[in-house]
Amino acid sequence: MITVRGLHKSYGVAPLFEGLSFQVERGEAVVLIGPSGSGKSTILRCINGLETFDRGEITVAGIELHSINTKRPSREDAERIRKVRLKLGMVFQQFNLFPHMTVLQNVTEAPVRVLGMGRTDAEAEARGFLRQINLEGKADSYPAQLSGGEQQRVAIARALAMRPEAMLFDEPTSSLDPEMAGEVLSVIRRLVAEGMTTMIATHEMGFAREAAGRVIVFDKGAIIETGPPSQIFTSPKVPRTREFLNRVLGRF
Amino acid sequence: MTPCGGFVYLKTIMGRFLKFLSLLIGIGVIIYVAAPHKPKEGALEKIRKRGYLLWGADAEGGAPYVFPDPENPSKLIGFEVDLANAIAGELGVKAVQSQNAWDSLIPALERGDFDFAMNGIEITRKRKERVLFSAPYYVYTEQLVVRRDDAAIKSVADLKGKKAGTLSGTVAQDILMGMGGVKVKIYSGQVEPYQDLAIGRLDAVLMDLPIAAYYAKPDPRLKYAGPPVGEGLYAIALRKNDTQLKKRLDEILAKLYRTGELQRIYEKWGLWNSKQDKLAAFFKNPGTETLDESRSAPIKNFFPMLLKGAGVTVLISVSSMALAITLGLMLTMLRLYAGPPFDWLATGYIEVYRGTPLLIQLYILYYGLPNIGISLNPVMAAFLGLGMNYAAYESELYRAGINAVPYGQMEAALSLGMTRGLAVKRVILPQAVKIALPGITNDFIALFKDSSLVSVIAMVELTKTYSMLAASTLRFFQLGIITALLYFCMSYPLSLLARRLEKRLKKDRR
Ligand SMILES: Nc1ncnc2c1ncn2[C@@H]1O[C@H](COP(=O)(O)OP(=O)(O)O)[C@@H](O)[C@H]1O
Ligand SMILES: [Mg+2]
Repeated sequence: MITVRGLHKSYGVAPLFEGLSFQVERGEAVVLIGPSGSGKSTILRCINGLETFDRGEITVAGIELHSINTKRPSREDAERIRKVRLKLGMVFQQFNLFPHMTVLQNVTEAPVRVLGMGRTDAEAEARGFLRQINLEGKADSYPAQLSGGEQQRVAIARALAMRPEAMLFDEPTSSLDPEMAGEVLSVIRRLVAEGMTTMIATHEMGFAREAAGRVIVFDKGAIIETGPPSQIFTSPKVPRTREFLNRVLGRF
Repeated sequence: MTPCGGFVYLKTIMGRFLKFLSLLIGIGVIIYVAAPHKPKEGALEKIRKRGYLLWGADAEGGAPYVFPDPENPSKLIGFEVDLANAIAGELGVKAVQSQNAWDSLIPALERGDFDFAMNGIEITRKRKERVLFSAPYYVYTEQLVVRRDDAAIKSVADLKGKKAGTLSGTVAQDILMGMGGVKVKIYSGQVEPYQDLAIGRLDAVLMDLPIAAYYAKPDPRLKYAGPPVGEGLYAIALRKNDTQLKKRLDEILAKLYRTGELQRIYEKWGLWNSKQDKLAAFFKNPGTETLDESRSAPIKNFFPMLLKGAGVTVLISVSSMALAITLGLMLTMLRLYAGPPFDWLATGYIEVYRGTPLLIQLYILYYGLPNIGISLNPVMAAFLGLGMNYAAYESELYRAGINAVPYGQMEAALSLGMTRGLAVKRVILPQAVKIALPGITNDFIALFKDSSLVSVIAMVELTKTYSMLAASTLRFFQLGIITALLYFCMSYPLSLLARRLEKRLKKDRR
């Protein structure tokens, strides 16, 4: 479903990825862990075309993204990136809901404007998604009237409304307090259970342990270890993984 | 009210604001349209049937009023020829000059030799008993001229015991005679007095400024002595009973004055000066014929004119603001999203327009462009001048607004499969405009006041109306207070709106 091969990327002179490769199968739930600054966000953003890269290739549902290292991609490249984005839903740490639109408008905007759905159909569908995340009653509220957890759930509904084939989550709960984080994580857990292909960058080790099909450990722009959570969390093979886990788990 | 209702609230404010604006525009239009009425036709009928206008004047030595073109003596030129043509044009006919000695223009008029006499005829009490005067078309002054090497005569006061020349039957003659002790020499032509002065037969010549400007100023042997003295009005002389024709002529003169045509004619002949501002008072109150009368008229007589000026101000401000808002948006889009060379073209535009005075931009638009064959009328020049200038400032406000929208908004929109254009239109701009709105409102107030600058390009808006009225009535204080009040009544609601928007914005972003 998602293939990354030989990816090179640097910020200025500082190299981040030097030949990164991995693959995510359809229906797989992959959790990305690793210290801050190890490149988890960057890889998700590269897959979604929000970041350019220098060398290598990324394939999403058969569409190939090349190394487009210009600020202004050509028309064809821009269209290709857009096609990839249509296959993927993205959820950001800061929610990024549109503050000038109601919850319902946030969810229906892209289906109506991008997919050309009829407004009534889009709204009916949006209400369905809102019901699934228990926010049907907030359809006419504005984002600023919602709690962080509610906003993040709306952001998930907004992404799902585009019927993506896979979902990317970049630390979806890092700016939420634990109770709200729980609500959001249970929504993600249900998605995973329904068989949605997901990539989740997170510091929630408990969640990773129980929901992940596979864990990828990042450090300094490289994958240092990958395996099922049962193995990674109980008997990591790489010393740096162990150090990281001790640090993170010791803190909680 | 919750912070999120802010956007909806904003829309209602905008709605009210627009309603208020359309009300103002409506008032302006009504004032503009309702002003002139057509009188019944009478002597006019005769002119129409004949197919040309017959006007009496003396073309003999008559520069710069009416005189044969030196290069083509069969053709008459002069500022009064231009004026007669303009008047005839308004009547839909041609103008034909009827030659008559200046001294006997009025008897010939009474005899019915022509429709009216127009030849530097000053309005005097004596003449008013015999003829009907139109509204004045020129404010003349008398200019004293002496020999270049003469240091003794510095003004008319120094003329005692000297020989002074002037034209027969003119106001200048009355002034010289009235002084006593001056040896007055009367001429019937305009060239001879200056000739005699140059060769020493006279010590000074006092004649109307247009004559001095044409004959004496270019003569290296002569010079002006002191500032212009006296002051009077040239008007068209009509037969006593031709009141309808007078009414029509007054309207036409008023129109020529308002459109700037009159000014163009005088500028062409080097006769335009600030004294001509006094004409305004006569065109708005055709009943008022002397400066004295307009000085003592009740203040309410000036309201219609001031209101009309305010209407023009509102029209100009609103239309140029609309231009500024749309053009500014285009500039911002080019600058931020179009890529080279459009982005730097837009940046260049903004920097040039912000870095040069609006006044210079207006001058170039109105007076400069005709040099390269583009001639804009005053309304167009004012609209473009203000609008294009403010577009640069609006553009900067939009840009600041867009930069204040978190980049995550663009990323979220893109991740949903939106194109950049759609994301800008649906997600970024609505938020940016909301941030920029208080600034835009403030700019509108500024533009509103800056609109007074367009008076330099012959637009008669509120400030120009005031300066014309005040110059002719000397009531700078009363009229100034009223004008300022009018401006305030129009800008204060906008200030309130801007303040409210600012407060709203602060609340939303806490
Ligand atoms: N826009 C940027 N400019 C320069 N360096 C960046 C930028 N974004 C990220 N980086 C660097 O790339 C590295 C990876 O960052 P990121 O992918 O955000 O890590 P993570 O999400 O794992 O915390 C960090 O060292 C960070 O400093
Ligand atoms: Mg990150």
